[in-house]
Amino acid sequence: MIWVIMIVTGLLNFAMRISMFSGLFQGTIAPSLRSVLRFVPITVLSAVIAAAVFIDPASGAVSVHFPKVLAATLAAIVAWMTQSVIATIAVGLAAIWIIGVLI
Amino acid sequence: MSETRKSSEFWRGVRDQLPLQLGVVPFGLVFGVLGIASGLSEWQTILMSAIVFGGASQVVFAQLWMSGAAPWVVGGSVAVINARHILYSVSVAPYLSKLPVGWRIVLGYLLTDEAFAVSIHRFEEARPDQPVHYHLLGSGLTLWVCWQVSTVLGVQIGATLPPYLNLDFAIPLTFLAIVVPRLRHGAEIAAALSAGLVALAGQDLPWNLWIIVAAIAGIGAGACVDWIRGGR
Repeated sequence: MIWVIMIVTGLLNFAMRISMFSGLFQGTIAPSLRSVLRFVPITVLSAVIAAAVFIDPASGAVSVHFPKVLAATLAAIVAWMTQSVIATIAVGLAAIWIIGVLI
Repeated sequence: MSETRKSSEFWRGVRDQLPLQLGVVPFGLVFGVLGIASGLSEWQTILMSAIVFGGASQVVFAQLWMSGAAPWVVGGSVAVINARHILYSVSVAPYLSKLPVGWRIVLGYLLTDEAFAVSIHRFEEARPDQPVHYHLLGSGLTLWVCWQVSTVLGVQIGATLPPYLNLDFAIPLTFLAIVVPRLRHGAEIAAALSAGLVALAGQDLPWNLWIIVAAIAGIGAGACVDWIRGGR
């Protein structure tokens, strides 16, 4: 089953990438669709971030797990200041390990 | 059209793409590690990088699959995340629509965030008779090779790492690194906050629909702010 989903999503992904120069459509999209698509990466990724930081994986309920929230906050500050993916991951992981050892 | 110009465009694409691999390679490693941690097999993880070929969406795929989401929710969520490629497609269309179909298929497959970012820049600055599609081929292939190799390495490393390292926490960290620098305007901030809150509120929705519902809410909030600003 997983292979079927993988191949279908791969094909969908390819279809969206080639769509506007596939020769099947005119190479234009409505301004309203353009402004909607602009928000897609931010919203989807924010949803995943919120769930990963604030949902307790054992119970599935919202919970404030201090090490995770602190590590994510530090990482967000680093991301804002450096815009570096490596620095953000490094600081966030280091923070959660160090806090885990201290507590 | 001379062979030297094609080859120089290709290598220019490779050179322009290389610096971005500083971010791509660690992401590929993390995906390889996470794929294994999520319960995917080594082959499933490695081939997902070739078949789906979209960093953030592969991570979400693995996460949703692990949590037992319905197949259409996994597929739908991945498709929503990758819908931004339509924007890239429309931007490069004027430069690529006249190419033979084989070229368009290859370049369609290779059109990722990073390849688009460096090649659209070249498309816009180059003279109209320049074979700029070779630039996208060079930048796209460079990214493709780095992504596949780093996934394979991540899979190899992932099999040897103990679970107490909390490496799955690298997922939100990677996404923070992508999202936070973009939060420079009210509309983006509203979109991100609404999506995050709705994701938490929607955890009990059936079939793990929370990602899609949160995305719709966030897009709505962002569009509202845009609309209010524009209406002033």
